[in-house]
Amino acid sequence: MITEILFSALVMTTPLVLASLGGLIHRSSGIVNVGLDGMMLLGALVALILASGGNWAVALVGAALSAGVAGWLMSLGITRLSANEIIVGLGLNIAIAGAVRFYLKAAYGSSGNLRLPDVSRLPKIDLPLPGPFGAVLSGHSVLTWIAWALVPLTAWVLTRTALGLRLRACGTSAVSSAAIGLHPKRMREGAGFVAGALSGLAGAYLSIGVVGLFNEGITGGRGFIALAAFYFGANRPWATAACALLFGIFDAVQIRLQGRGFPAELIQTLPYIMVCVVLLLLGLAARRRAEGKAASHG
Amino acid sequence: MFCKPAFAASTALALLFAAPAFAEGRPAALIISQSGLGDQSYNDLAYAGFERALASTGIEGRTVESKEVVAQADEILRRASDAGFGLILDLEFAHGEPIAAVAKDYPDINYVILNQVVPGDNIASVVFREEEGSYLAGVLAAQMTTLPGVEGINEQPILGVIGGTKSAGIDKFIVGFIEGAMSVNPDIDVKVGYSNNFADPAVGMQMANAMYDDGADIVYHIAGGTGIGVIEAAKERGAFAIGVDTDQDGLAPGHVLTSMVKRGDVAVERIVADYAGDKFPKGQTISLGLAEDGVGLSPMEHTKDIIPADVMAKVDAARAGILDGSIKVWDVLSQGAPDYLK
Repeated sequence: MITEILFSALVMTTPLVLASLGGLIHRSSGIVNVGLDGMMLLGALVALILASGGNWAVALVGAALSAGVAGWLMSLGITRLSANEIIVGLGLNIAIAGAVRFYLKAAYGSSGNLRLPDVSRLPKIDLPLPGPFGAVLSGHSVLTWIAWALVPLTAWVLTRTALGLRLRACGTSAVSSAAIGLHPKRMREGAGFVAGALSGLAGAYLSIGVVGLFNEGITGGRGFIALAAFYFGANRPWATAACALLFGIFDAVQIRLQGRGFPAELIQTLPYIMVCVVLLLLGLAARRRAEGKAASHG
Repeated sequence: MFCKPAFAASTALALLFAAPAFAEGRPAALIISQSGLGDQSYNDLAYAGFERALASTGIEGRTVESKEVVAQADEILRRASDAGFGLILDLEFAHGEPIAAVAKDYPDINYVILNQVVPGDNIASVVFREEEGSYLAGVLAAQMTTLPGVEGINEQPILGVIGGTKSAGIDKFIVGFIEGAMSVNPDIDVKVGYSNNFADPAVGMQMANAMYDDGADIVYHIAGGTGIGVIEAAKERGAFAIGVDTDQDGLAPGHVLTSMVKRGDVAVERIVADYAGDKFPKGQTISLGLAEDGVGLSPMEHTKDIIPADVMAKVDAARAGILDGSIKVWDVLSQGAPDYLK
C-alpha cells in the first residue's frame, strides 16, 4: 500500500517538478510565468504527434522546442512590448487552448481527444533494487529521473555559475544589472525559453509517458500547481521540488483512500489542505527560529 | 471584394437561419453541445439520429453549432426561434434554464432538451434510464470477475467504478452497476472513486491502477476524457475496463469488456418522427431505457469470445427481468442515494 502510494506519487510529481523548475528559473530572472499550463498543453500535443510512428527522443526535443518558443514569445511580449506578465500568461493559456482545439478539429476532425497509432512511449527504467525500494523507484520513465536530476543541476547553476548569478541579478534589479553591462531583457527571454521547454517536457510526460494519448484537459491545471510550488518554494529548487512531491504524495493518498469509506468530497480536498498545513507549520518553525535568533542576540 | 468580418458572420448566420417557413412540417434545428460535432461521442451520435430521421420523414433540418454555445445560450435559442423552425432540439446540457425562458416567448415552436426535465407546455424533456444499462454491465462484470481461466481476471470478487464527479447524474450509473453486481453476488466488493475531473486521463489512469492494485480486475468509468485513462490503464495492466455513452470497445480491443451505450440517436430520431407525425410530446418527459432501446450494452465485438454462454444468459435474464418489471433498478434521481453510497 505505502510503496504503491509512493510510486504513484512520483508519477504525479514528475510534471510538477519539471514545470515548477521552469517557472522558478523564469521567476529568478524577474518574470512570473502564469503560462506554464498552456505550454505544458502544447508540449503534450506536439510530443504525441511526433511520437506517433516516430521516436520518443525526437518527440521530447520537439515538445521542448515548441513550448520553449512559446515561452520565448511570451517573454518578448513582456520585455519588448511592456505587456503585463499576468495578462500575457493568462492570454497565452487561453490562446494555446483555443489553437489546440482548432487544430485537433481541423487536422483530425476530433474534438478534445486524440489517439494516434504506434506511439513511441517513454522508456521505463527498471532498477534491480531490493524490496520496497524497487517497488517505489523501479519502473519510472526516463523523464522522471531527468526531472529529479534537474533539481540539483538548477540549484548549482543558479548559485555557483556566472550565468546563474547574472540571471538572479537581472531578476533582482533590471536597472542595476543593466548598469553593470548585463542584458536583463535577453536574460528574461532566454529564461522564458527554458521555462517553456521544461513545461513542454512536463506535457510530453503526461501524453507519451503516462497515458499514450492526448486530451485537451490533459494538464489538469498542473501548470498552476507548479506555479504554487515555486512560489511556496521561494525560488529554491529543492524546496520547490519538495512542495511538488508533497502535493504528489497527497494526491496519491487521496486516490487510494477513495472507496474506503471516507466521503469523496472531503478526501479530494486533502492534497490542498495538507499542503496548506505543512506550509503553515514550516512558516511557524521558521518564525520560531528567527525569534530564537533574535532573542539570543538580544 | 471584401466584406467586414462582422458582416460576413451575420450573413452566414442569416443564411444558416433562412429556412423556408411553411406552416406544415416546418424544418427542424439541432443545437450541438459544447464538445462539438466530431466528438466521436454524444454529438456525433445524436447527429446521426437526426440525419436518419430527416431522411425518413422528409423534414428539412439544420444543425446550429457555436463555440459560444454556453455563454450565448439565450441569443442562440432566440435566433433559432426567429428563423422559422418548428422543432428545436437542444443537446447542450447548460441550456436547461435558457430554453425554459425562451420557449415561453414562442408558444408555437416545439423544444426538446436532453438529460434533464424542464417544465413548459411546448417543451419535451428526454431522460435516459442509465441505471438499467449499468445494471446489466454490473451483472456481466460480477460474473466475469471470478471466472477462472480468463487472462487478466483474478479470483477475488472485486470490481471498481470511477465517476467524473459526485452528483446524482453520475451516481445513477454507479448505483445501477452496483445493484447489478450485487444481484449476482451479494458479497461483491465494488470500489467507488470520483476523479473530480472529466478530462484528465492521467488521473483516471492512476485511479484505475489503484483499484487494480487492490484486487479489482474490471473497472467501469463514467468520466469522459478521464475515463480514457481508465481504459488505457486496463490495456497496460492486461485487465478490463467498461466504457460509457458510446461503444468504446474498440479503444483497447479485448480490454474493454463492454460499453454502456446511451442512444442519443434513438432519442433524436424518435422525437423528429413524432414531430413529423404531428404527435410531438408537448410538456412531457420521455424516459428511454432498455425497453425503448435508449440504453444498452455494446455488441462486445472484441470480448464476446471470452464471455461464456451461461454468463451471457444471466445478462439476458436480467434484461428480461427489467423489461417485464420483475427487476426494479434503483434510480438515484428519484429515490436518492442508497445507504451504501451516502
